[in-house]
This record gives sequence, structure tokens and C-alpha cells, in this order.
Amino acid sequence: MPFPYLYTILLIARQEVTRIRTRFRGRASPVAMVLLLVGILLLLLTFRRGVVQGKGLYRIAVSPDGPLIQDERFEVTTVPSSVRYALLDAGAVDLYVDDDRVVHYGAERSLYAAGALKTYLEKQELARAGQSYGPERAFPLRVGVQRFPIEQARQEEEVLIPSLMAPPLPFAQVVAVSLHLFPVFFVNVFFTGGFMHEKMDRRITVLLSAPVTPFQVIAGKMVPYILLALVSVVCVAALLKGNVLMALLIFTPVVLFTFSVYLMVPLVYRTFKDTTFISMLATTIITSYLVFPAMFSGINDLSYVSPLTLAVKMYRGQPFGLKEYLTSTTPMYIIFALAMYAGSRMLNEEYLMRFRPLYRKAADAIYLLISRRHLNISIFVLSLLLVPIVYMVQLVAMVVSLNLPIRYAVGTLLIVAVVVEEVAKSAGIVVLIEQRVVRSTKSILLLSCLAGLGFLLGEKGLLYISVSIVSETMLSAALFGAGMLWLPLVAHIVFTSVVCLLTARLGARSYPLALLTGSALHVVYNLAVLGVI
Amino acid sequence: MSAFVTILKKELKAVTRERTIVIAIIIQLFIASFSSAILVGLMSLYDPEAIGLSARIRLRVGIVGDRSDPLVDLLRQNQVQVVPFETLEEASEAFSEGRIEAALLIPQSDTGSGRGLRHVSLFLPESEALYTLILMVLRDPLKQYESYLREQNGIHLKFADIEGRPSTLHEFRYGVILPLLMFFPAFITGSMVIDSLSEELANHTLDTLWSAPVSLHVIVGAKIAAPVLLAGGQCVLWATLLYVNGILIRNLVLVLLMATLNAAIIGVTSVFIVLYFKDRERSQFTYSLFILLSTSLGYAFDVSPVTVITRLATGDYYTGISDVAVYGLVLLGLLAGLFSLNKKLLSRVA
Repeated sequence: MPFPYLYTILLIARQEVTRIRTRFRGRASPVAMVLLLVGILLLLLTFRRGVVQGKGLYRIAVSPDGPLIQDERFEVTTVPSSVRYALLDAGAVDLYVDDDRVVHYGAERSLYAAGALKTYLEKQELARAGQSYGPERAFPLRVGVQRFPIEQARQEEEVLIPSLMAPPLPFAQVVAVSLHLFPVFFVNVFFTGGFMHEKMDRRITVLLSAPVTPFQVIAGKMVPYILLALVSVVCVAALLKGNVLMALLIFTPVVLFTFSVYLMVPLVYRTFKDTTFISMLATTIITSYLVFPAMFSGINDLSYVSPLTLAVKMYRGQPFGLKEYLTSTTPMYIIFALAMYAGSRMLNEEYLMRFRPLYRKAADAIYLLISRRHLNISIFVLSLLLVPIVYMVQLVAMVVSLNLPIRYAVGTLLIVAVVVEEVAKSAGIVVLIEQRVVRSTKSILLLSCLAGLGFLLGEKGLLYISVSIVSETMLSAALFGAGMLWLPLVAHIVFTSVVCLLTARLGARSYPLALLTGSALHVVYNLAVLGVI
Repeated sequence: MSAFVTILKKELKAVTRERTIVIAIIIQLFIASFSSAILVGLMSLYDPEAIGLSARIRLRVGIVGDRSDPLVDLLRQNQVQVVPFETLEEASEAFSEGRIEAALLIPQSDTGSGRGLRHVSLFLPESEALYTLILMVLRDPLKQYESYLREQNGIHLKFADIEGRPSTLHEFRYGVILPLLMFFPAFITGSMVIDSLSEELANHTLDTLWSAPVSLHVIVGAKIAAPVLLAGGQCVLWATLLYVNGILIRNLVLVLLMATLNAAIIGVTSVFIVLYFKDRERSQFTYSLFILLSTSLGYAFDVSPVTVITRLATGDYYTGISDVAVYGLVLLGLLAGLFSLNKKLLSRVA
């Protein structure tokens, strides 16, 4: 065999396939197969019918000569007009509808029902008018839309009919495109299961004592499932009548991204319940990162952070360029590379088998990621790479804080955001202090400088990328116009140094205290910059 | 009974020790808040009335052409500031100087009788976001203008003047967010039951527990009860959160009862699954399929607990304790089935 390294990976892949096949041999296979098929079929049927929010929410009484109402939100009964007031007064129905009138009884739910029915009947009436009078008389207004500036000779114009203007939202398409993700999530149950299986009877010990590298183990166990996931992508694309090749191009990075997130699940779990909760977290992260930006495709260019936006475009038959493709897929490839690196550093028996609190697990993982020979570079890169994660956490905090009254929400958010940043910058250094790799004040200061610099670079880099996607130039002017880079840099370094030096002086157990001190200074600084104090 | 309580306590303690349930709670909070935030954002685009947005945006539109056209009045009635211009070039200049956001070219109508098609031209900024926003604000006056022209053509649409409230937010709250928050804990329950039992099976600790003078019913019962209790607790938490956010839940007790019953039904079902497959991997896979399947089935056959919760919470006249009782009966049936079968299912382990 000319490529022994690859051959080992394939060997591990084959073992994994055999393992899965024995799992679904015998009495398990027909049950699972039937369930799977029926599930897919039902799902397709449900989607075909369209997803209705608030099914059966309103009850409506219609007179025998009233309009036909076919919308799943309305539970319709035909009643003679003599009982209508009795029904309405009792609150037994929300509305009474006859030939050309809708009667509500003033209560809140009755008014909501009226609002919903209004939108529905308007559509019906428009369709009726279009059919009986022809499109020109029923829809007598055409609005030709052009873009500024006007001086160019007549540009092509988009013609709109106001009453038929559809909302610009790609809701249905985003849902359809998300269908590609479903099978990938299912495949990942088995991918994580593969690792758990090894961990269970300490088989991993045997495996790792053989002449294979952790990278080979991870790659070998991943390859079959990635292929399976790609096959499912092709199937779904074919079912939805999309361009299969294009779908592969768009979804391959998505699949890799999904696997990178799920790779972390078996590495950090301690009990089975952990696996469930951490997988849930993984699914939520992946879905919100991919699906929510895509909801804004065609409305805001920032939607290009998600490759699903490209898929929406594909199904609409709209073109997109290489720049858009790279914008949304490059991060996915980078995350995959990082996850593979992190995974191969973390895959060792001691790390896998220890039952420790999750924050300890995280600290151990950071320690494993840092290269002992290149401490300075490691700390710099670590805090640079943590920036996107910091932003994600801050975004979550922002969304969750919306549940509070706005004044408290802003205050809480200011504090949480600062604490998260300080954790990201100092975590690597503190782990090194704890493990007694770094002791002297001088080296702690040096590392703090590097961490601050890395973080600032990451912060500005991310800002630059996101601003360059958004076409509005005023935004970028506002962000970079000030030209103040040294002040935030010094600030970052000072706060990190405070946290790390305090931790070194007081011991790792006092890290939370040191963190609070550094964060308090940071909050004060932020308030000063914002002009509050 | 004391054995039951002991195992129950042990299960609950394990959950608090691992602390990972906190992740699940944050996830639910995040999903609910995020989808509300997104919804309000999206609603501003297709149902601006609902959040009173169109009243807050002051749009300046340049008018070139027929200034006496009814469209100009309609624009004014919709709080749009109208700025007249003689030529398109002037309007274009005003746009580049930031004095207007959009421009309308209204040609003189040929006959005034209103017959036939009417064409107007609208000029909007290049930016996708501004384009969408302005079009959304102008949609109402343009639609009213179209209705006016339609009336001129002698076509009358019925039901045009229904008074009501924009319903999207209402439907989203009671049709999506509330069921989501009431059923997500149930979904977690099933997963936890499978984890807990399959872990005992994998470590061969169930046999030990069983050989102690504790009946299998008690073990399995306690393992279902613990996550169901947690699910009930989470539902209470979500109901409080919704209340704080001003979302009123009618029939609160029945809604919570329904959610807990649902969690218990899912919990018992997942015991069947895990006792059949014995390992976590296949059980979780089948369980996820089962959830997917029962949700779509319920949707297709109109027996969905989601509808019951929605109707209870909005105070539907015909929905009450009897609808909840049906699910209670289902639970009793499942439990009876489980207790008559579980020895047989488990004996195959050995």
C-alpha cells in the first residue's frame, strides 16, 4: 500500500461501517427502516400542506350563504342566522360571517379572529375579482420600480401590482432548504455514538495504543458518516428538484461544519445525559447559525454569512457570485480545520475518561490546545480565534436579555459582554498559571499583551469582514473613522494583565474574583467611552 | 414506596450534580426569545401595522407629474411627506442630496374616467434593505390607490371594511411559542429516560439494582417520574416568563397538566423504546424518529396536543378538562401496558 497513513484511516472507517451494520442487523433493522420511511413520507406530506401556525385557533360561525373559508386556522361551522347572537354572546364562536358582513363581539380573541379573517378574505376576494373581471380591470394599477440614480437611459424596471405584492420573505424556501439538514442531524447521532461506543468499554485505550494517531481515528470514524450525509443531501436536492451539483457545492462545507460541532460532543461528555444536552446545544448552535441569517436573504446582505442563503437563491433560480460563495463557506472550512486540530489534541484516554465539572473539562481542553513549545504564538492565536465565539455568546446574551425590561437589559448586557470578553482573553493564560507553566510577572505581562493584541485583531477583522459585506459605506465610515486603535488595545491589555496577575498572586481558585475586578475596570472604561460617566 | 422515593431522589440529584440541564433550559429560553425577536423584525416587513411601525417612519417622497392625482392625497393620509418636483432630474438631485428617500412619477391620466390600466413609476435606493423598507411603507397607500381605481372600474370587493386587529403576533404567541415551550421539556424527558436506562443497561447496574429487593416497576417508575417532575417544573418556569412578558394563559392549571401528561406519555413510550433496543444509540435514533413521526401524524389527523394547548390557553369555549382527560387515559393505558410487559422485555437482557 503506497499511502499507509490513508490506509489506516480507511481501515478505521471500515470498522465503523461494520459496527453500524451489526447494530441494524436482525430484528432492529426492519423496525428502523419502516419508521424512517414513514417518517420521511409524513414529513414531506406535512411540508406539502404547508406549515400553519395556530391551527384551529379561531372558531367561526358562517351563515348558509356565507363565503367558503378554507384555512386551517379557522374552525368553521355553518349555522342559521337566528342563533348568531346567542353564539356570539356566549363567546362560543369568535365571529359570525354572512354573505357580506363579519360580526365580532368586541373581545380580544374576537378582534384577532376578525383581523386574521380580513387578510384571508381579502385574498379570496381579489382572486374572485381577477377571475370574473380579468386581470386588467381587477388589478388596474401597475407600479414600475426603478433604482436611483435616474440619469442612465431607461433601465429595466420591475413591475409590481400593489395588492398582489408578496412579502419579500423567503420563509417557505428557508424551511424547504432546512430539510437538507434533517438527515445530517440524524447521521450525527451515529457519529457521536461511534465514539461513545469506543469510550464505553475502554476500547479507545486499545485503539490508541496501536500505531495510529488521534487524527487518523477521528478522520476514519468521520468519513463514512460524511459520505452518508452527502448522499442524503443529494437525495433531498433531487427530491426538491434542485441542482444536485450546486447543492453539493453549497452543502459540503455545511456538512463539515456540522460534524465539527458534533465532534466536540463525545469528547467532553461524562454521562449519557450529558450527551443529550450537549447534542441539543450543538443542534441549536448549528440551526441558529445557519437558518436565522437565511431568513433575511434578499432583505439584508448580511444573510450571506449562512450558506443556506445561497441554497435559497439556488432554488429561486437566482445567480450568486464567487465572492458570496466564499463569504459564507470559508468560515465553515476554517471551523472544520480547527475542530480537527482540537479533536486530535483532545483525543487521549486521560481526557476522555475523567469525570470533572464541565468548566474543568473546558480548562483542560484549552491546556491541551496550547503548544508548550510556542506559548506566545499559542496565546495570541487562541484569543484571536475565540473572538467569533465571544460574539456568538454575546449575541445569545443579547437575545435572552430581551426578556428583561429594556433598561435592565442594556445594563445586564454591558456587564455580561465584558465578562465574556475578559474570560476569552485570560482563560489561556490562567490555565498556564494554574499548571505552573508560567510563573514570572514578566512573562504573564508579555502573554497578556499578546492576548490583548490577538483579541483586538480578531475583533477588528470580524468587523471588517461583516462591514465589507454590507454595502452601506456610511457604516464602515462610522466604525473606522475614529481611527482610534491604540486606546482599545491598551485597555484590552491592561484589563487582561490585571486579571492574570491577580490570579497569579491569589491562586487559581481566586480566578472569579480576579475576573470580576478586571471586568469592573472594563465596564467603567466602557461607560467612560460611551460618555455616560 | 420508600424505594421509589430513594431512586427518584438519586435521579434528581444526578441531574443537579451534572448541571447540564441548565444548558437545556438556556436553549429553550434562547429559542423562544430569538424567534420572538426575529418575528418582530420580520413582521416589520410584511405586517408593519401589527407593531405600529409604519406610523413611526417618516418617509419623504418626491412627486413628479400630476400633483392633483388621488394618489398624492392617499400618501399624505398615510403620513408620507410629499415633495413636489418639476422634473425627474430635480428629484434625482434631491435624492442624492438626501432630501427625499424615494420618488414617484405620476403621469397625467388620459381620460379621467379611470378605465384601463394606470401606470406609475417608483424610484427607490439601490440598497436592498432600504428598498424593502420603503416599499413596505408605500404598500398601504398604493393598495388604497389600487382599490380606488378598482372602484372606478365598477368592481366592489366584499369584506373590505372588517375591523379587527393584526393577528400575526397573537397567532405566533399561542400557536408557536406557547406550544414550543410546553412541549420542549417533554421532548427532553424522553431523551433523559433513554439516557438513564441505557446507561444502567450499558454498565450492567440495572441487574444489581433489580436483584436488590426493589421491583422493576418501582425502578422504571422512578426513572420516568424524575424527568417528568423536571418537565413540569420547566413548564411552570415558562408560564411565569410568559406572564411577565404580558402573555396571558387562560386555563393555566389545565395547560400545565396537559404539558406534564404529555411529558409522561413520551417518557413511558421511550421506556418501551429503550427496553426494546437496549442501547442508547439506536434508542435515541428511534426516539427522534418517533417524535418526528407523532408530530406529523398528530398534525395530519387533527388530534394534536398542540391544538389542545393552544385552545386551552386562548380560552376556547369547547375545550376543557375532558380533552385533557383523554390524554390522561392514554397515559394510564401505556403504563398498564408497560407494567405488564417490562419484565418480559428486560429478561431478554440476560
